[in-house]
Amino acid sequence: MREITEEIRQEIKDMIFDYYAEECEVEKDEITMDTNPQEDLGSDSLMFVELIEMTADKYDLDIKLQSIGKYMLKAPMDTMSDVVEMFCKIYQYGNDIVNQ
Amino acid sequence: MYNRAFLFNGIGSKPEKLLVNMPPELMDKYEFYLDSAFGRLGLSKDLEKNSSYDGRVAEWIISLICDRVVFEHYISKGIIPDIGAGYSSGIVSISGCFGCVPHEFAHDIIMMNRATMRCLDEQGEELDMGIVIGFSYNDIEELLSARFSPDVLVIGSGNSKFHVMLSGRTEAVAEALDLCQREGALKVFSFGTGVAYHHPIMEKYSREYVDFCASTEYRAPDYPMLSIFDREIMTTGQQVMRENQLNVYTPIRWDLALKKLEELGVTEFFDVSPNGAVSKFSRVNRKCKIYTLEDV
Repeated sequence: MREITEEIRQEIKDMIFDYYAEECEVEKDEITMDTNPQEDLGSDSLMFVELIEMTADKYDLDIKLQSIGKYMLKAPMDTMSDVVEMFCKIYQYGNDIVNQ
Repeated sequence: MYNRAFLFNGIGSKPEKLLVNMPPELMDKYEFYLDSAFGRLGLSKDLEKNSSYDGRVAEWIISLICDRVVFEHYISKGIIPDIGAGYSSGIVSISGCFGCVPHEFAHDIIMMNRATMRCLDEQGEELDMGIVIGFSYNDIEELLSARFSPDVLVIGSGNSKFHVMLSGRTEAVAEALDLCQREGALKVFSFGTGVAYHHPIMEKYSREYVDFCASTEYRAPDYPMLSIFDREIMTTGQQVMRENQLNVYTPIRWDLALKKLEELGVTEFFDVSPNGAVSKFSRVNRKCKIYTLEDV
């Protein structure tokens, strides 16, 4: 397991918010932790894949999409808070996220 | 030497999604082509007013018209392809844009899908297609090959390391999608269109379509095209005609076609769909880039 600092957590949150703001063409300050990425921003799963790829590149992670998919069966991504939490777990646990 | 490839999208994007990124300066041209095509084909621009089969092909023809507008826009900007490839019905689209057949004939090919759908309905066939996001071709093949016979389900298209299309009997498609979801797919969904494009079962129901594809003489393409079936470079009208015929009932390896284009030296890919649909499900290596209308 990789340690995650508050700085990294904030960096991940900023990266996710920036990404959705740009892709969904909304102002970043319109997005909150309660925003639903699908219903409120119109995001889709292909955007989500791109965000995973971006994160994997940025933090040098080797992550299988199926591990994330299995995790999502237990923890659906209904809000931005869920998304940020999941990406922090990806950072920490990599493919072992499925067991979290 | 090939450096720049144009990529043509297949059917699937809803018109409202396609048009959302079309810049206003291109909309006049789009409207002109739309009026002309729909007038000639007797289709209503109010898509809901079309009968069932007409409604579906009308959407697909809109996709072709969008491609044409974007293609001509790229050319007018001096962005000239060295080669091109069409994904699924993007083969019909590229055949028109690369000058093998008139655009009207390309639209007529799309119209022939009505005969295929009618034939399937008359025979009571229950077919479908579905998308799995989060699995590569190899992942899916390993998961499904022991459980489903190719008679009921095939991988209709391997698109990228995370995007695969399944095609076959409705029940098998639904069962496979459920399985993929349980095994960690990020998303699965079925098309519910009643057809199984790129499954061999379609061959016997698409004879009219296939015959129609061969009912005119094809010119050699203005730029070479890559076959998405055998990944050979096509430079003759005859090859392009054959590509159109195979399209309905032959599985695709889009991922391998893109890889082949990279091997041929392509580093710049241009997505010809106005909403960047191809770029979303395709991936190329890091030295390459897929440009969309937004980038131009």
